[in-house]
Amino acid sequence: MLAMNKFRILGVLIIAIAATVVISSCKDKRSTGWEYAPNMYEHLAYDPDQPNSNFKDGKTAQVPPAGTIPIGWVKFDYPNTHDGYELASTEVKSPLPQTAANFADGKVLFLHFCSPCHGQNGQGDGLVVQHGFPPPPSYSKGQSSRGGAMKDLTDGKIYHTITYGLNAMGSYASQLDPSERWKVIMYVHHLQTL
Amino acid sequence: MRNISLIFKQFSKAVLLTAGFAILGFSAHAQGDATKGEALFKANCTTCHKIESQLIGPALGPLVTAETDDKWLTKWVQNNQALIAAKDPKALKIYNQFNQQGMTVFGSLSDGDVANILAYIRADWKTQQAAAPAAGAAGASGATADSGPSSLVIWGLLGVIVVAFIVIIVLNKVIGTLERLLLRNKGIVLEEEETEDGVAKVPVDKMAGLKHLAKNKKFIFFVILCGTIACGSWTWVTLWNTNVHQGYQPEQPIHFPHDLHAGVMKIDCQYCHSGAYKSKNATIPSLNICMNCHKVVKQDSPEIQKIYAALGYDPKTQKYDSTKSRPIQWVRVHNLPDLVYFNHSQHVKVGGIKCQTCHGPVQTMKEIYQYSPLTMKWCIQCHKRTEVDFSKGGHKGNAYYDNMIAVHDRIKRGEKVTEASMGGIECGKCHY
Repeated sequence: MLAMNKFRILGVLIIAIAATVVISSCKDKRSTGWEYAPNMYEHLAYDPDQPNSNFKDGKTAQVPPAGTIPIGWVKFDYPNTHDGYELASTEVKSPLPQTAANFADGKVLFLHFCSPCHGQNGQGDGLVVQHGFPPPPSYSKGQSSRGGAMKDLTDGKIYHTITYGLNAMGSYASQLDPSERWKVIMYVHHLQTL
Repeated sequence: MRNISLIFKQFSKAVLLTAGFAILGFSAHAQGDATKGEALFKANCTTCHKIESQLIGPALGPLVTAETDDKWLTKWVQNNQALIAAKDPKALKIYNQFNQQGMTVFGSLSDGDVANILAYIRADWKTQQAAAPAAGAAGASGATADSGPSSLVIWGLLGVIVVAFIVIIVLNKVIGTLERLLLRNKGIVLEEEETEDGVAKVPVDKMAGLKHLAKNKKFIFFVILCGTIACGSWTWVTLWNTNVHQGYQPEQPIHFPHDLHAGVMKIDCQYCHSGAYKSKNATIPSLNICMNCHKVVKQDSPEIQKIYAALGYDPKTQKYDSTKSRPIQWVRVHNLPDLVYFNHSQHVKVGGIKCQTCHGPVQTMKEIYQYSPLTMKWCIQCHKRTEVDFSKGGHKGNAYYDNMIAVHDRIKRGEKVTEASMGGIECGKCHY
């Protein structure tokens, strides 16, 4: 009798464990599951990417009022035209000290933001280009669509292009702040010599 | 025999010669080699031009076919800026039409090269135009051929199955009634009563069994025990998983495949989540970042069309209409409760942790899901186990850590340390 009971107890235990495993594994991946005190997760304070009925356009992330300048903002008063481009070329110079640390930062930023199209060595052969994106010209061997060789591009010209974009390239002003743009330009100058 | 072979040789030579001259003449007539042109076109022009549609510059197929003045085209390709400077009316018209962007000067291309490229563009545009109506017709006929019979066949089959079932049921009933009639006619009617008795007896037996079991204390103990274990373990698992969103994979408004962008294309996480290195938030990319590539790439995909719709962008005119734009409401996956302060830049830039450590193999995810539990236990465990090396990575040259080490060195040397030397009089210490 006792032996029988032992078997029964073991059997019941196994069944119970299997049942709990089965029950708990039936989880809907589209749902967050049970929440205790959900107001900790869906909180009262607005996240920047949440809808917000307090504003006319219904967004929390508002554009700064017209005419205001964020702290640390650097002026770049050259319009997105050919004349603006040429003027920037003669007037704008990098304000960054040409240090090894800035160069290293520039390399990382270049690899993250530019190399998908321009390629690791700036030859216009990035992975995205290999998958069908129109190739940009090589920094060292190509010709600029605005005249002149790519290897002769000045600080101001490259800064103007990063800020406004050109041809198939979009503006990178939202991804790179001015000092980051200057760091990238340091590395691009190195690639122009390759 | 020899004579014959000689004659044959001479004859074949003549044929070959005439054939060669014919080919030469033909190619001279076409004024350019399309195959050479194709290579040149792909090397020089595809950055800004497509043959069938506008990219950065105009669609070349219709333009070059309509413009027959090859000398002018060659001049434009070799030095468009000289033509514009000379105020050539045709050149100025195109220059102004494309916002005075200007085209790259291709001084390196010879007259022959340009002729080859033009020949390629014209030939390719011709074949595309010839293929377009044919493909359209084939597609239309294919569509009718596909959809018509397939749906008909499916509905027909379903109808046949339903009819067959009805027939079987009706036949069964008919057979049943006929059999009963036969039995009645023979005088054997008693089976049904007997079965009724049988049905009544069985439940009595079962109930008796159950009652017997209910009196068995050991059995009751087992039932309660296994109930307790099942409920207990269910409660245990449920409580541990309450507020834990691990594995959460909500459906997003646009199907963005991370495996393609981060895996195949190897685009760095920071390209889109550019806040991760310099801000508390990794940031969800705004649509202008999508448009860096998708202004040109995969314009016809229905998912990309959703981006265009949200921006009010018309790919044909390449113009934005801000009155039609609206934000895309992505569904948040990783969500920490309001009582937790988490800063991405501290972990990524200073700590040098890879994105995948917490977010899992995003580069293989077709659809993003929460990889880590993001519980307090999970945070604490990593903070307990991670060793910090102040001479490396983001810690090196970081003013906060440099000061901290300097203060500790002073304490070791037995010097006195004030609150101010540890940043105690910084504004933010008191004025949040």
